[in-house]
Amino acid sequence: MPRRSSLPVTFVVPTLVILLILSMVPTLYAIIIALQNRELSSTAYSWVWFSNFFDLFSDRRFLNAVWVSVKWEVVTVVATMVVAIGLGVLMFEVASQRLRNVYCLLFIIPVLLPRVSAAFVWKFAYHPLYGIATYPYRLLTGGLIFDPLSKPSTALFAVASVDVWQWGLFFAVIVLKLLETLPPQPIEAARLDHAKRWQIHAYVTLPMLKAPLVSLMFVKMIESLRSFDLIYVMTRGGPGVATETLDMYAFSQGFIESGKVSYASAMAVLMMIATVITFTMLWKRVQA
Amino acid sequence: MSAIVCSHVDKAYGATTVIRDLNLSIEEHEFVVFLGPSGCGKSTLLRMLAGLEDISGGEVSIGGKVVNDLDPGDRGIAMVFQNYALYPHMTIFDNIAFGLRRQKVPAPEIDKRVRAVAATLGLDPYLGRKPAELSGGQQQRVAIARAMIKTPKVFLFDEPLSNLDAKLRNHMRVEIARLHQSLKTTTVYVTHDQLEAMTLADRIVLLKDGVIEQIGSPAEIYGRPANIFVAGFIGTPNMNFIEVTVARSGNGWTLTGAGTALSIDGAGFHLQPGGRAVLGIRPPDLKTARDGDAGILQGTADLIEFHGNDALVTFGSGGKEISALVPARECPVLHAPVRYMFEEANIHLFDATSGASLRQQ
Repeated sequence: MPRRSSLPVTFVVPTLVILLILSMVPTLYAIIIALQNRELSSTAYSWVWFSNFFDLFSDRRFLNAVWVSVKWEVVTVVATMVVAIGLGVLMFEVASQRLRNVYCLLFIIPVLLPRVSAAFVWKFAYHPLYGIATYPYRLLTGGLIFDPLSKPSTALFAVASVDVWQWGLFFAVIVLKLLETLPPQPIEAARLDHAKRWQIHAYVTLPMLKAPLVSLMFVKMIESLRSFDLIYVMTRGGPGVATETLDMYAFSQGFIESGKVSYASAMAVLMMIATVITFTMLWKRVQA
Repeated sequence: MSAIVCSHVDKAYGATTVIRDLNLSIEEHEFVVFLGPSGCGKSTLLRMLAGLEDISGGEVSIGGKVVNDLDPGDRGIAMVFQNYALYPHMTIFDNIAFGLRRQKVPAPEIDKRVRAVAATLGLDPYLGRKPAELSGGQQQRVAIARAMIKTPKVFLFDEPLSNLDAKLRNHMRVEIARLHQSLKTTTVYVTHDQLEAMTLADRIVLLKDGVIEQIGSPAEIYGRPANIFVAGFIGTPNMNFIEVTVARSGNGWTLTGAGTALSIDGAGFHLQPGGRAVLGIRPPDLKTARDGDAGILQGTADLIEFHGNDALVTFGSGGKEISALVPARECPVLHAPVRYMFEEANIHLFDATSGASLRQQ
């Protein structure tokens, strides 16, 4: 090897090795455990190969968790993008430069909160008796109780709203900044071309921003996969299994209810495979 | 009926006034060029006509209708931008069709009209491509097609050729002239390039600091500039200016300055004995002098710029740099003494303080 190229290698290799160890060791270990029948209560185990995986597909609670995870992913990603684009365009259209700065500052604050803090804040806001978010309902109905977090039909959306509150507002700031970077002439040309304001955005500005908006959506999709802390604090997967996503279910199987770590690992491995396949396909699709 | 009328139009950004009490009337089918140095307000004025800038005061009407508060789309105008302003994500076809689609024109008619316009401008082969796949000249042609298809009452061009290279610029200038000849649509064209202005315009509106300095045909502006700014701005190479003192001598006048005394007849000018004036002579109006000629400027050739057919000879006379554009075969050698004469019909005289032309109307 020529002498000149050895310096970069010297710097890069140790970091890469550490990264590889940190990422590959747990992954490989999870795969190995998934093929065994380890439990937290005993040290004895044997190789059961794929039986954990077969069991999963007849586990109705697992299938429910898959469905909840898909719902969570779709609801949070779509709602975040809708809120971000809606608010971003609205600020771009009506707010003066000074107001925009104020809004941007305000909209960044939620995402700066740690997830657990945000979850606690909103858990209290959704409190049926004292919560500020349920106050209008009590006021309008003369004191009727509404507890969004303990109704199976609303719990997922109530938790998702916190996620959207954090990320939708933050992304709105990014969308506004993206709109501000666009050259003004195509917008002016569209105005001369009889386009109404919403048409200018629908046909000109947003298509021009397609690439960054798709990237933003991918960021949010990856971020939405990490919903554990939010759900854990707000509902613990409940009521019943209404908000039990795959990571919640895996956690409770592995550490809370039965200590079946092998079973939980099998779920984690399945999740990993599904995520890799889905994201690779989506990414290829967008690139084409 | 006038196509565009501006009466007492003002434009201010906060405390800064960009355009002051501007009055202008543009006839139908006319090709009017707004010409002026950067920052003179010509683009702002155009954008006010288009509705892209608010009008701070006064009234603008297009086709007999006051348009101050009308949306850009409702003014019956179409505009071509300096940087083309095409929609980068749409094909050329969609770019041209965008305006018609917004007006809900039926699809078969859109197709027919886009193809007709594309044929006129030679864009047929590119209809399926994106703007980025086209050259600058082709992109500008798409921008013109997008404006043409709306069959507007008025075309507005905002420095459409500035982004093109010199050769393409000449080519597109001819195309725009041809287009105006065949369509006869009223056109307002903004440029800082006097060659574009001279070749395209029926009338030139020369602006400086938001005020109209002169309105007239290219020949009028070149031949009878209203003031010293217009005289200096129009014409390449620039007009020579010599500060002179005016004195009476016999039936005529003597202009003393730049180390010489020049005798002129003075008819056609308002001259005051003892007054100060600025004498303007265009370099091409200076001819190599023969013995016995009157009106002679002489000095030593300091700089010779060869232009091809002609050469620009710069010489010092009484501490003043004067340029003469002479045929290349009469070009002197560097540092040789030179003598040039002018005919009185070709000179311009301006008031030394106000800068206004002293020519009698």
